[in-house]
Amino acid sequence: MTANALRRQSFAGLPAGSGGALPALTLVGLFFIVPVVALLLRSVTDPEPGLQNYAALFGSGTYVRVFFNTFLVAAVVTAVTILVAFPVAWMLAIMPPALGSIVFGIIILSMWTNLLTRTYAWMVLLQRTGVINRALMGLGVIHEPLPLINNLTGVTIGMVYIMLPFMILPLVGSLRAIDPMTLRAAALCGASPLQAFRRILLPLSLPGIAAGGLMVFVMSLGYFVTPALLGGTSNMMLAEMIAQTVQSLLNWGLGSAAAFVLLAVTMALYAIQLRLVGAKRLGGGL
Amino acid sequence: MLLDYDRLGWLRAALAGFTALVAAFLLLPVVFIVLLSFGSSRWLAFPPPGWTLKWYQELLADPAWIDAALTSAKIAAMAAILAVLIGLLASFSLVRGEFRGRQLLRGLLLTPMVLPVVVFAIAIYAFFLRIGLAGTTTGFVIAHTILALPFAIIPIATALEGFDKSIEDAAIVCGASPLQARLRITLPSIRIGIFSAAIFSFLASWDEVVVAIFMASPTLQTLPVKIWGSLRADLSPVVAAASSLLVGLTLALMIVTALLRRRLSR
Amino acid sequence: MTLPFLSIRAVRKAFGAFVAVHDVTIDVPKGEFLTFLGPSGSGKSTTLYAIAGFQDPTSGDVLLEDKSLLLVPSHRRNIGMVFQRYTLFPHLSVAENVAFPLRVRRRPDAEVKRKVADMLALVRLEKFADRYPGALSGGQQQRVALARALAYDPPILLMDEPLSALDKKLRQEIQTEIRRIHRETGVTILYVTHDQEEALHLSDRIALFKEGRIEQIGTGEDLYLRPASEFVAGFIGNSNFLPAEHLETENGTAKVRLADGSIIKGVKATHALGRGQKARLMVRPEAFRLTPVPGNASLAVEIVDTAFFGDRRRVVARTGSGDEIDVRPTSDTAEPGGADAASGRQIFFDPATAFLFPA
Repeated sequence: MTANALRRQSFAGLPAGSGGALPALTLVGLFFIVPVVALLLRSVTDPEPGLQNYAALFGSGTYVRVFFNTFLVAAVVTAVTILVAFPVAWMLAIMPPALGSIVFGIIILSMWTNLLTRTYAWMVLLQRTGVINRALMGLGVIHEPLPLINNLTGVTIGMVYIMLPFMILPLVGSLRAIDPMTLRAAALCGASPLQAFRRILLPLSLPGIAAGGLMVFVMSLGYFVTPALLGGTSNMMLAEMIAQTVQSLLNWGLGSAAAFVLLAVTMALYAIQLRLVGAKRLGGGL
Repeated sequence: MLLDYDRLGWLRAALAGFTALVAAFLLLPVVFIVLLSFGSSRWLAFPPPGWTLKWYQELLADPAWIDAALTSAKIAAMAAILAVLIGLLASFSLVRGEFRGRQLLRGLLLTPMVLPVVVFAIAIYAFFLRIGLAGTTTGFVIAHTILALPFAIIPIATALEGFDKSIEDAAIVCGASPLQARLRITLPSIRIGIFSAAIFSFLASWDEVVVAIFMASPTLQTLPVKIWGSLRADLSPVVAAASSLLVGLTLALMIVTALLRRRLSR
Repeated sequence: MTLPFLSIRAVRKAFGAFVAVHDVTIDVPKGEFLTFLGPSGSGKSTTLYAIAGFQDPTSGDVLLEDKSLLLVPSHRRNIGMVFQRYTLFPHLSVAENVAFPLRVRRRPDAEVKRKVADMLALVRLEKFADRYPGALSGGQQQRVALARALAYDPPILLMDEPLSALDKKLRQEIQTEIRRIHRETGVTILYVTHDQEEALHLSDRIALFKEGRIEQIGTGEDLYLRPASEFVAGFIGNSNFLPAEHLETENGTAKVRLADGSIIKGVKATHALGRGQKARLMVRPEAFRLTPVPGNASLAVEIVDTAFFGDRRRVVARTGSGDEIDVRPTSDTAEPGGADAASGRQIFFDPATAFLFPA
């Protein structure tokens, strides 16, 4: 028997090579797909069949405000993350590896450190009597402590902090994929650094920016921990609202409807993301 | 020239300065929390008026913290083992299989990573309430294995893609059974991927907060749930001590990873 | 005396303790096709990069029409360049690639359009204007790169091993193309290659680099017929080196004894050698004949192998002292059947075409 024939060997009746996926498929099917579908069904059956949960969701100013807030925060976080991450990724893509590995080490350390630990640190840093306010007052920049926590500012700072590695790492990859010779060619063609940036470097890194940005946006939309701890009650985000509706108000129907909206938006953006980078490169930071 | 480190001119200084600032930004909270955990101020004043180990003593004297840490470790270890085993089998199918819908299957198995955790959390919570697994270790492990699975599949599948299948075929032609060839040739070759998978899936469970908040019962609490509860109550320096220990653990894990990778890649 | 167009003056480039280029000086007249030839790591590309502005020389100067280029940033040097790798902008079409240098110079649209059309016609790629680089073959991509580099009428075109990624047949095709374009545009070309055939085919002059220095500069004929050193003789064309002992030099011709004891008289003496000094006698494979020619020197050999290549025959011969000789007489001078493997044969060459180098 040739090696090629071996490759085509299959388990009884199953398509070639699919058998290994069975345990994973069973696990995900039984404990992921079934519960999620059951939850979504609940949004149109609890407390009685009908669309009243969605009507309540989109009819109430409070909930519409939550939607608006969620998208606003996600958009702001994504924009700031891209602006901060791009120069860093650029530098990391070209700097000598010995120096770069220090920065990479810091990025990995921050990424691997417990999420609650990081959020806790920002709670302490940003509070009224926290280091940042004291330092600014000490420098005479401000005279009253700035409200940095329990509002959008706090959420943005905390979220950007958490999202940065997810933007920087894939972006380094896509910047490294650009041949430096291309930029040399642009310079010899007469392009000033600004022209070379605008016409060559930026367009060539745009797919990486779009893919990373979309990932950060999607993650931010459904983020729970950081907004819940650093945000205020007046600008609650969707994930926290879903958790509260179910856990405190025990309103499963409404919570499920909100969960469905979040899921639908996330999956739609995920589909675009897959188009953009292909399933293989998803999770490129790992 | 924009991608030539040596020819950037003033731009290089600007980029390097900015990168240093961002690196400092990323490092700041981690360093800060470790410093505060040794500070004597109950209100987390900075710089601390004095240095002390009392928050660590308080932490280690509290059996609730110790219990939570042990519970977390147990659940994370089990979830990691399951995720790696199931992920390994699945990766062979995803990379080597020749069947329609392979890409779809891949997308499906990676979905738990993309779906907002809060949606999965309330879904599995409701499901487990119905079948009596809510608040049990088994329920925890199942939920965390699902969340960890993508983190196991990605590195293993990547390693497997980089492994030349004809080496395995050569072993089979030499007389090894397909199973022997996989166990003795392929698995050792992709061990870095398997190792990364183990680390990532352990961390995915160890750090998981959202599902844990729903699944926890008064008798079954993981470390993140315990921290979450403390944070909601007040900003006690004991949390800083616990956090510092977690930072220490992260650093240790990073060093072990780096060393092992270096050894394994020889 | 007129000033040289491009002048490379004592350019030196050191990377730490390693000196990549040692004080290279070359004057290039306008319109010349000059090739930097040499093995990899000989400093030829580094010299080119100094002209392009990708690397600052440690010392020395590069002058264009008597003005130093060194303080001018790359994008203001107005130099054209074609690279070893295809450096087309992947997100721009062929026409947009060629238009790029004109767009960044803010030339009017009508001029850009006309120039792009001219350039694509020059490289014969009019039909590919709207394609993207990914959809072109390697040869086509390099022709677009050439069009882009010439679009803004640069006074100098630098080419850094532009054909090394192409297969042999395509290489020859594009070489012919480059010659035509050089003729039609009159642009001054500095061309880097490690391929001596390419250098001989294309250049007006060749500068042969060795370990960061120019070993010899001259026309291809100069380098082939009058090599200044054993390195040049070995690098340009094919050559046999036979260990020899210098006996005496008289009236510009030398007498040597080869390792098998045979005496060769009438070798051109280009280097001063002492009596009894060890030397190496270089004879081109094509200088050998299998049949006696009056006045020629002869070597007693054993024919080890023989092969027929249509226009010529290739024979491997071995001298009595065990040195193998590559012999490539043109077909008409080789009697068929006469070159069968055999011992006790003789091969002949004109000593005036041989060179003697110190060992």
